Amino acid sequence: MKYNLELIKNKRKIISFSTFLILLSLLGILYSTFNTSYKKPINLGMDFVGGNELRIERVCEEECSNLSPDSVLENLREISSNKNFINNINLQFQNNNKLISIRTPYLSIEESNNLITNLDNIIGPLNYESKDSRLIGPKLGKRLLTNCVTSLLVSLFAISLYITIRFDKKYALFALLALFHDLLIVFGIFSWLGIILSVEVNSLFAVSLLTIAGYSVNDTVVIFDRIRENLKSKEEGYNETIQLSVNESFRRTTFTSITTLIPLLSIILFGSYSLFWFSLALSLGIIVGSYSSILLAPSLLLKN
Amino acid sequence: MKRRQGWLFFIIFLLTLSVYLLINYPLQLGLDLQGGSQLTLQIIKEEGKVTRDELEAVNSVIDKRVNNLGVSESNLQTLGGDQLILELPGEQNPLVASRVLGKTALLEFRTQKEGTSKDLKNLQLQRLSIKELIEQYSFAEKSQNDDNFLKAIQDDLKDIEQELNYSSTSNDLYGKLIEIKRYVDKEITNLFIKTDLSGKDLINAGRRQEQTNSNWEVLLTFSNSGGEKFAEITKSIAGTNQLLAIILDGESISEASVGNQFASTGITGGSATISGNFSAENARELEVQLKGGSLPLPIEIVETNTIGALLGSKNILKSLYAAISGLIFVGIFMIFNYRILGFVSVLSLLLYGFFNLALYSLIPVTLTLPGISGLILSIGMAVDANILIFERIREELYDGNTLTRSIDSGFQRANSSIVDGHITTLLSCFVLFLLGTNFVKGFAATLGIGVLISLFTSLNCSKTILRFFTTYQSLRQKNLYLPNNNFSN
Repeated sequence: MKYNLELIKNKRKIISFSTFLILLSLLGILYSTFNTSYKKPINLGMDFVGGNELRIERVCEEECSNLSPDSVLENLREISSNKNFINNINLQFQNNNKLISIRTPYLSIEESNNLITNLDNIIGPLNYESKDSRLIGPKLGKRLLTNCVTSLLVSLFAISLYITIRFDKKYALFALLALFHDLLIVFGIFSWLGIILSVEVNSLFAVSLLTIAGYSVNDTVVIFDRIRENLKSKEEGYNETIQLSVNESFRRTTFTSITTLIPLLSIILFGSYSLFWFSLALSLGIIVGSYSSILLAPSLLLKN
Repeated sequence: MKRRQGWLFFIIFLLTLSVYLLINYPLQLGLDLQGGSQLTLQIIKEEGKVTRDELEAVNSVIDKRVNNLGVSESNLQTLGGDQLILELPGEQNPLVASRVLGKTALLEFRTQKEGTSKDLKNLQLQRLSIKELIEQYSFAEKSQNDDNFLKAIQDDLKDIEQELNYSSTSNDLYGKLIEIKRYVDKEITNLFIKTDLSGKDLINAGRRQEQTNSNWEVLLTFSNSGGEKFAEITKSIAGTNQLLAIILDGESISEASVGNQFASTGITGGSATISGNFSAENARELEVQLKGGSLPLPIEIVETNTIGALLGSKNILKSLYAAISGLIFVGIFMIFNYRILGFVSVLSLLLYGFFNLALYSLIPVTLTLPGISGLILSIGMAVDANILIFERIREELYDGNTLTRSIDSGFQRANSSIVDGHITTLLSCFVLFLLGTNFVKGFAATLGIGVLISLFTSLNCSKTILRFFTTYQSLRQKNLYLPNNNFSN
């Protein structure tokens, strides 16, 4: 079982493909910044802008009856004290009408309790044991955002420092290029997801970016190590040695990615809904990360 | 060989210890797994940073209040330099806690300025009207009354504004009502002069039902010096038409005259009652706040998470499914590709799982959803090291080396790149743990612990188990280690 990836032949294709992906990501980020209602590079979720998110199940005998969100909102408006805020409510039924999912601007605990009581009156009975409610003040949101951005920058800096100390300049530069390539593409995908499906990113998204950073660099380090080792011992030419090293570590890199993807896939399929987008972001990062470690980073090392 | 056997016993010892730990010290589950509420309290300071002393002072006041509330098994901890996190497990409504904790509860005793009786009477009248309007408003809301009713409230409000010579700036009616009430409260407070008696002079607070009606009153007990101050103050205004006001957080909750009979000694005995039409609930809240003392800095509740108990147990089940199916599929993948080596990695993965959980109960790490995802993710990363080693072993076998030699040099050569490769992940975990929120910390902790343990299990445990297997002649055939037999010798 020998692998034979024709890296030298396909260098141009690989680099064009990556450039295409990066441009597509940048396009998503730009579009999201200028052409959406939220005017941000990515659709920031409740963690970062504050708000109230409530999920609660209805108690139904067999099947839950079909209700239109608009009529429920209309009823809510009639009995709520603050008429304005109803306009900003987003209400959805999921899970065969059983699960009610609501997003509103920030509410106090008291207001949120009132909202639930009102809901109970309109479409009750509700199962309070199944309640999942999050209230985040706008101030805290801003703070979380700064926190996340700082952690990202600090750890990118730490990783860059580590790579520069460990490798010489050229290797370090390309390893970091591959890293930023991975992060940018995952970020871009979520920008597009925000534009198309209004997917929001929360603090767990920042966590996934950080984890991807650690993982992606790790992958690249293993391949670059192999290249350095082979360049010292092998007789073949520079480009051929690189290609050989990539093929030698191909199995290892794909296998590790697969064994990391399998548990993530289990979380996506079986895990709690709050971990869905997080696991998806991680999976995408690992796929893009393996691609860039195997194909992109070594291609950049090739001489013309 | 002897040394390896020593390792084998050591590993078995660790496994037994882990199982013992897990049985005797059950894992601590976070609120997203057991249900409950979590409140994040932000200390508000206009200028400068919150100092360590201030943080501790706020912490102790909040702690006292929580205890006095009688919330069971609550947990209060500081986060960062200026936040507190309060966890209330189970089905406890965070509403009462939020009402009691959110108030500064700054208690002041003030005496009326001379010659302000007329102003005060007028303001008290306005206060009564505005309170009535607020009540009418909330009644109107509940009964879905027609707009005429609201219009009437609006008109009354205008009259009050004219009387006060103040116009409100809020957008909606309710906001206006509250704004005017605050304004009246402030104006009333301004008619009184501060004294040196305050909430600090209290040693206890209590409540009781008034004898004449169903309202409640709150009893204050002063310290010795507080009692003296109170006597002094009451003496100074006894028999005059100046009133004594008890002011809580800038709002006068009681204004009372002191009778002429106290003119010589003041009110002695070191206690006072506040009777301001309290309901049982309000009286209890005030009692708890006064007992805990006033907060040195105001706080704001910036985040509340509530998870129902049923949802919590569902989350546990889901996580369990995810973890087990992840383990099984990783196991199948490894055995399919690496035969006996794969089986060895499955065994060391199981050890890995036990050691991780045992460490969680030992440290202890509170298990949350992100924490579990960190653990599940680290399964994949733990196998990473095994794959690196096994690939090296395979290469050595293809090169025609003997099994023992291949295994030895496989472990040896993969050693450095494994240690190396884990460093970047650990770096990320470290940063996450330092800067992250509570939620994020759980993930960073389990992933970080996982990466560290995997160094031990994948390097040491795998090697020991593999050595143990190869002591059996029947397990020493090369084709048990390579799925494809297309190699010579």
